[in-house]
Amino acid sequence: MKRVWARWVVLAAIILGLFLFTGFFGIGLGIKPIMPHVYLPGEKLSETPLFGIAGLYPTNTLVGLLLADIVVILIAIGVSRGVKSGKTVLTGISGAVEALLEMLHGITEGTAGKWTKQIFPWFATITLLVLAANWSGLIPGNETVGLIHHYDHGYDLKQVGPITTIWDEGTDDGEHHGEYAIVPFLRPVSTDLNFTFALAIVAVVMIQVFGFRSQGLGYLTKFWNTKTLFSKPIFGVIDFGVGILELVSEISKVLSFAFRLFGNMFAGAVLLFVIGSLVPVFAQSMFYLLEFFIGLIQAIVFGMLTMVFMSQATQGHGEHHEEAH
Amino acid sequence: MEALGVNLPFLLVQIVNLIIVYTVITKWIVGPIMGLLEKRRETISKGLEDARVAAEARANAEKEAAKIIADAQAEASKVVREATERAESAGKDVRAAAEAEAAKAREAAMAEAELERNRILGDLRGQVAALAIAAANKLVGEALDEKKQRALIDEFFSGVKSGKVVVVGESLSGDAAEVTSALPLTSEEQDVVKKNISAKEYAFKVDPSIMGGLVIKVGDKVLDASVAGKLEGLRSTLK
Amino acid sequence: MEAEAAKLIGAGLAMIGAIGAGAGIGVVTSGAVQAMSRNPEMTGTIQTNMILGIAFAEAVAIYCLVVSLLILFVF
Repeated sequence: MKRVWARWVVLAAIILGLFLFTGFFGIGLGIKPIMPHVYLPGEKLSETPLFGIAGLYPTNTLVGLLLADIVVILIAIGVSRGVKSGKTVLTGISGAVEALLEMLHGITEGTAGKWTKQIFPWFATITLLVLAANWSGLIPGNETVGLIHHYDHGYDLKQVGPITTIWDEGTDDGEHHGEYAIVPFLRPVSTDLNFTFALAIVAVVMIQVFGFRSQGLGYLTKFWNTKTLFSKPIFGVIDFGVGILELVSEISKVLSFAFRLFGNMFAGAVLLFVIGSLVPVFAQSMFYLLEFFIGLIQAIVFGMLTMVFMSQATQGHGEHHEEAH
Repeated sequence: MEALGVNLPFLLVQIVNLIIVYTVITKWIVGPIMGLLEKRRETISKGLEDARVAAEARANAEKEAAKIIADAQAEASKVVREATERAESAGKDVRAAAEAEAAKAREAAMAEAELERNRILGDLRGQVAALAIAAANKLVGEALDEKKQRALIDEFFSGVKSGKVVVVGESLSGDAAEVTSALPLTSEEQDVVKKNISAKEYAFKVDPSIMGGLVIKVGDKVLDASVAGKLEGLRSTLK
Repeated sequence: MEAEAAKLIGAGLAMIGAIGAGAGIGVVTSGAVQAMSRNPEMTGTIQTNMILGIAFAEAVAIYCLVVSLLILFVF
């Protein structure tokens, strides 16, 4: 019976969507969905800087960050309360988080070995925070509910009941005549490069920290390998070059981390509203499912890559190279 | 970078935020959950240990129970055996007693029957004699002397004639004498027999099938002076 | 040619690089699935490595996408 009920809801939603967005049989409203303006940086909600710091404006990605933080803190409260109550099995969302972390812990144990205890908190932090950030992009209303501001290539304004909205009058020449656009209140923070760069920088810095903690200053020979430079003329030079390349690869790791997450999530968001503006009914639901999945995968991939690089740093590539020669 | 929206204040805010989140997650999510996992692992291993101990205890208990059952069975079979033995001996006793009793009763009954028969035969003797005399009278046609006849008949039946056992030529002697007559002997006749046959013990028997006369058995000697014996001898000679 | 049209063409051309990433992901997944079917006990390790490999291959497509987005919306 439950399934039947869900089926009717889906059917009703499709019919409502058809009624709103198409002019079918002359009774539909024929609302034209508007594709939001694609804007790469976080959009400013106010022109006054936060805390008087120049350049730090309240942007909608900061709102997204706050939302993700709140979610993480709520999970933390739920988990610690659940554990304090003496339960051996957590229930609800904390139970799901526990299951996820247990799985991640298993992966970490298999890769990091004795450094699991130090590395795992980073894996868990990055995964949970990125997961919360990614999934905040699936909340209905983000990218569409926001402040109306002046924009040269925008749309007209229209009052629908108590709501003021931008409205495409649908002129045939495809030109927009209005002068308004929306700055949404909420945008997932993972579509902001600042967030992904911050994560990437912290991750790569912590990888180096783990390298130094496990091997001391010997870790530096990974980048400045002069040990064999004179004893083995040709291979020594190659080793030195490899060391320099390792240094470059550490920097490229930052870019790779940052742009992977940003690209995936930003492309996902763009995909969602492009599909939404092309086919307003039903099609977007499928892409919502895809985005749900991609959000989880990207969160785990970011955390797992960090974890793998950290455990590689602790295992000492330099020593490995020496053994090989 | 500016066009991508990356600028230092935002970056710093994000890094600070990340460090805060790291602290929160490490302290309030990872810590408790790792504790939980550890606790659960301990619980599981403890449960396994408990189960092992319980299994051992159960095995011991089963062994104990088997032993107890075996003991009980041995005890029970012993008791049963003893009871059977006792019952058997008691039964034997009872049977023996019953048999003895029965034998006694039978003997008594037989003795009584013997006595009774003898008495009846004794009663008959007179009548038989009278009948024989009457029959003889008819045959002979003349009345014999009553007294003589009676003596004759008595002699016929008892084999004793005027204070002497007719059949006994020489004196018989032995340990035990058994005298069988067709009809019971009177006490006088018995005295006569006793006088003629010297023996320590005398037994007088009555067997109508010998018809008349006496069969005297002294030691291993048998003197057949009965009518039946005579007839048998006659029959064998005539053959 | 108008600058706007050139930008659109350039953005489209930039995404050609995604071909390689797609092929790469296909190769990684095919190898991983074969390995998993041959050796099911190693599924966990293989899956981890497969996701890592896919992430690296996908990074290329993401770079293309970023370049494309930069061309479209930034420059």
